[in-house]
Amino acid sequence: MGADKILLTILALPLIGALINGTLGKRMPKAIVGAIATGVMFTAFALALTLFGSVHKQQLVHLFSMISLDGFQLNARLQLDSLSIWMTLIVTGVGSLIHLFSMGYMSHDKGYYKFFTYLNLFIFAMLILVLGSNYFMLFFGWEGVGICSYLLIGFHYSDAQKGIANSVAARKAFIMNRIGDLGLLIGLFLILSQFGTLEYSELADKLLIDKIEPTTWMMFGITVCLFIGATGKSAQIPLFTWLPDAMAGPTPVSALIHAATMVTAGIFLVVRSNFLFELAPTTQDIMLYVGLATSLVAAFIALRQNDIKKVLAYSTVSQLGLLFVALGMGAYTAAMFHVTTHAFFKALLFLGSGSVIHAMSDEQDIRVMGGLKKYIPITHITFLIGTLAIAGFPLLSGFYSKDEILAHAVMHNPMIYGILMISVAMTAIYMFRLYFLVFHGNFRGTSEQQHHLHESPLNMTLPLMILAVLSVFGGILNLPGVVMKSGTHWMSHYLEHNTRGLELIETHHLSSSQSMMLMGAAVVMTLVILFVSFVVYIKNARLAKSDEELKGWELASNKKLYFDELYNFLFVKPLEWISVKMHAFIEVIALNKSVYGFAGLIGKTGDIVRKWQTGVVSNYLFWMVLGVISLVVYYLIKF
Amino acid sequence: MELFAIPLVFALIALVAPKSKVNYVGLIGAVVSMVVSFIHVANFSPDQYVSLFAPDFMLPFGLTFKMGYDGIGLFMVVLTNVITSLILLSNLNREIAHNRAFNALVLLMQFGLLGVFTAMDGIMFYIFWELTLVPIFLISYWFGSADRKKPLMKFFIYTFVGSLAMLLSFMALGTYSNSFAYEDLLAAQLTAKTAFWVMCGFFLAFAIKIPLFPFHTWQPDTYTVSPMAGTMLLSALMLKMALYGMVRWMIPIAPEALDTLSCLVITLGMIGVVYAAVIAIKQSDIKRLFAFASISHVGLIAAGIMLFNKDALAGAFIQIANHSLVALGLFLAADILERRMGTRNMYDMGGVAKLAPKFGFWFAAVAFASVSVPLTSGFIGEFLLLKGVYNYSWIVGLVAGTTLVLGAVYTLRAYQISMFGAPKMEHFADLTWNEMLTFFIIMLIILVVGIYPQAIIDFVGPSLDLTIESVKGAKVIVQ
Repeated sequence: MGADKILLTILALPLIGALINGTLGKRMPKAIVGAIATGVMFTAFALALTLFGSVHKQQLVHLFSMISLDGFQLNARLQLDSLSIWMTLIVTGVGSLIHLFSMGYMSHDKGYYKFFTYLNLFIFAMLILVLGSNYFMLFFGWEGVGICSYLLIGFHYSDAQKGIANSVAARKAFIMNRIGDLGLLIGLFLILSQFGTLEYSELADKLLIDKIEPTTWMMFGITVCLFIGATGKSAQIPLFTWLPDAMAGPTPVSALIHAATMVTAGIFLVVRSNFLFELAPTTQDIMLYVGLATSLVAAFIALRQNDIKKVLAYSTVSQLGLLFVALGMGAYTAAMFHVTTHAFFKALLFLGSGSVIHAMSDEQDIRVMGGLKKYIPITHITFLIGTLAIAGFPLLSGFYSKDEILAHAVMHNPMIYGILMISVAMTAIYMFRLYFLVFHGNFRGTSEQQHHLHESPLNMTLPLMILAVLSVFGGILNLPGVVMKSGTHWMSHYLEHNTRGLELIETHHLSSSQSMMLMGAAVVMTLVILFVSFVVYIKNARLAKSDEELKGWELASNKKLYFDELYNFLFVKPLEWISVKMHAFIEVIALNKSVYGFAGLIGKTGDIVRKWQTGVVSNYLFWMVLGVISLVVYYLIKF
Repeated sequence: MELFAIPLVFALIALVAPKSKVNYVGLIGAVVSMVVSFIHVANFSPDQYVSLFAPDFMLPFGLTFKMGYDGIGLFMVVLTNVITSLILLSNLNREIAHNRAFNALVLLMQFGLLGVFTAMDGIMFYIFWELTLVPIFLISYWFGSADRKKPLMKFFIYTFVGSLAMLLSFMALGTYSNSFAYEDLLAAQLTAKTAFWVMCGFFLAFAIKIPLFPFHTWQPDTYTVSPMAGTMLLSALMLKMALYGMVRWMIPIAPEALDTLSCLVITLGMIGVVYAAVIAIKQSDIKRLFAFASISHVGLIAAGIMLFNKDALAGAFIQIANHSLVALGLFLAADILERRMGTRNMYDMGGVAKLAPKFGFWFAAVAFASVSVPLTSGFIGEFLLLKGVYNYSWIVGLVAGTTLVLGAVYTLRAYQISMFGAPKMEHFADLTWNEMLTFFIIMLIILVVGIYPQAIIDFVGPSLDLTIESVKGAKVIVQ
């Protein structure tokens, strides 16, 4: 089979899975439904692996031309290069494990077949997003994943207590994403009007080979619009508040869509468009500072969240911010490296939290957990690995990928490095807090919950173990120069090899002594935070405060810095007010009243004129005589 | 000629058919004429003009009776037949007191619409245009809700005033050419001033029918009080007469005034897009909400047509088809909710998705199509229209683009309030087979067009090219 056929098969598999389960799933036993959905995923992953080694040059797979008009052509076309296959591997690989996990996690759910249909459909949309050869295809996938996200966040829409809240969260996610999508769409129009094509490679040719030089303003406009799209999907300030709410969805969904894959679409978009962004330094700066601010704000909020999934959600937002900092500095492969390791350990943490929630009979509040390490040992160990990885514990995957971004920051601007270190420190703080409060100390839940505590079945723990291994060793993909003499930065080289634009970007390399110093600083900081957390939460057995006790910065963090309230006050309420007032004053009074008023005027005129038609001959004679006299008088005066 | 005869013959049969079977008679009539129009499509190549009726005499004042179609016309003919069939299909199990009259009127409406889309003579166009007003008024008047009288009076007077303005324009044109045949009207050289007033006459008629802001106040009331079939005919087909009229008649006949008026129409369209969408956000009557949504969507189509370039026009025709299908689906959903819950107020609904999962699924599918997500025809249509508007002016493009966000706000809100949450009643009958089939066909077409829009572009493209050229100054010789 040629690479093009394999690529098509990879794309088709999840769609087929979704179609089978969507149409027949209701009548099939759960085991088969789950097996089909998970089976297509593993097959797709295996096929992607076969392509992985054989990508030597960029390859286009033309399907058909969707729109062909005078000025432009929009194609359904796939592009195989190292970047797209890399993303495909993450999506199908992590996706497979999460599908497997879901077979256990969702086993008691009535909507089992629906869940897997949506999940497969999501993978299909995500693959279109990463495999398309142009922005038009990307947009298809982009909105497609948004719909699947909407369906899955609101999956339990009829739940007696949370049904409404779930569907509101789903709607919020879709609408906030739509705001970003509008930006992206305008970016597309700009590209189309400037270059006449939406194909990545044609664009790159025009910019890199033909050396077309658009105005600075045009490049700024295009890239800012693309970035606005990215802020929606990748939950950056100002469009980030939907992601924490999206935790209303089942936990595997949070792991797959809202941590490992969909939210990194914005990063992918920027990496894909690197040759555009390189021509727009202003946008790069904006991206850098927005990422920096998001990273700090989200990490700060995560410090005092008490819902296990909310902590992880804000952590994701914060990590995505870090990624945009990297992109703003032009460190594209470093960003992709962190996207990869983040997919491993954040999926691991979310699935681990799912296992915890499963064990705790659907309880998510970490204030009533505690001491779980002896009840759910596998979940505990794997969660610990995930925590260490994200906190940047030495030699784990997160350590390397984060270090690479920090190294770029030092080269770029030491101030940024300093601020990033604050965010990194906060990450370690909230993650250790979460870990100690959940797994150590005494159990604080009800005795009923304690009675039910149980380790999850193998189909849930197996993905945890695999992801744990990946979280530990994922760093090998892109080892820094100080570790070995040769064979380092393997992943960067792989990506640069045949992804357009990337090959032209020089990566900064620090001297080894500088590198060692940076790593040393990071290691010391992580260890200190680990030690302090240990003292605070184990030695002193401190617990999370109840809502009433919070004040000062803790209250602000717990209340999410009042972003929701602010948006409500600034946008939602005014829009609703305008809607009501506009209907009352313009629609009903100004327009409708005037129409009826005009009609009434005609009626009134008729009423008045009708009174003259009395039907009495003497009246008519009177008016006639009056008329004649008037005429006579008129002519007498005139002449 | 069989194109017109079939709806008429079946309308007559429907008047005498047994009451229990008459709904099927109506449906068969519509389907047969749909099949016939498919045969026309099969024998048609897009760069062709097919004459249906062209007598070699003309009445003294210039009436030539010419009928025929090119790609645009046939496209609208097929759309009419498909939509009418779907309307009758969705009505199949509705119990209507005088269903003979009902079916006959719908078929008469179909006949009138076919005439509008194939008229190649100004007077014929006007006659068919007015003819459609009769059945739609009677359908709404005889079968509408109790509070229908005042809104329908408003509707009738409104559209009638518009029609008279159009008649004036035709009469003015008659003094410039010796006949009302389409090609003669095209050939007529107008002064800029005359062209302006002629176009204004057409515009008033079309703006009321579409309806464009601020001529829209008849629309929400009329849509709300009309029976389902009436609302569907109004939104899915009747307003398309006006959009078609803009492309076929208004702009080609008075192209001299296009530049003068386009700014105004585009502005009104844009105001409508935002204004109606914002108002839709806080509506609680589900039919009214969809009525405002319709105003918002068609505003963009009208603006796109005024740009009169091929990209925007192709987008306009895709969006015309898409809007018809989506409107059909949304008003069907609204009617299902209204009938089975006895209210149009969304706040009295809730939890339906759990009780009636099939309905929940198909309503959601149509709702997403209405939000113009990719893979649906609405996305392609809006993409091309927004691109056109955007190239016209980026500010206008940005304003128009808010429809993406606001559309999602009101549609998802409507769906959520009516369908999600805890059920408010014990039982909600799920879709009947004909309702399900209607939804299925609607979504099938929407998806096919959304994935392969080039089919429509190729079909209407050559006719659009000709029309655009004629507007650019070259004379187009039809036939």
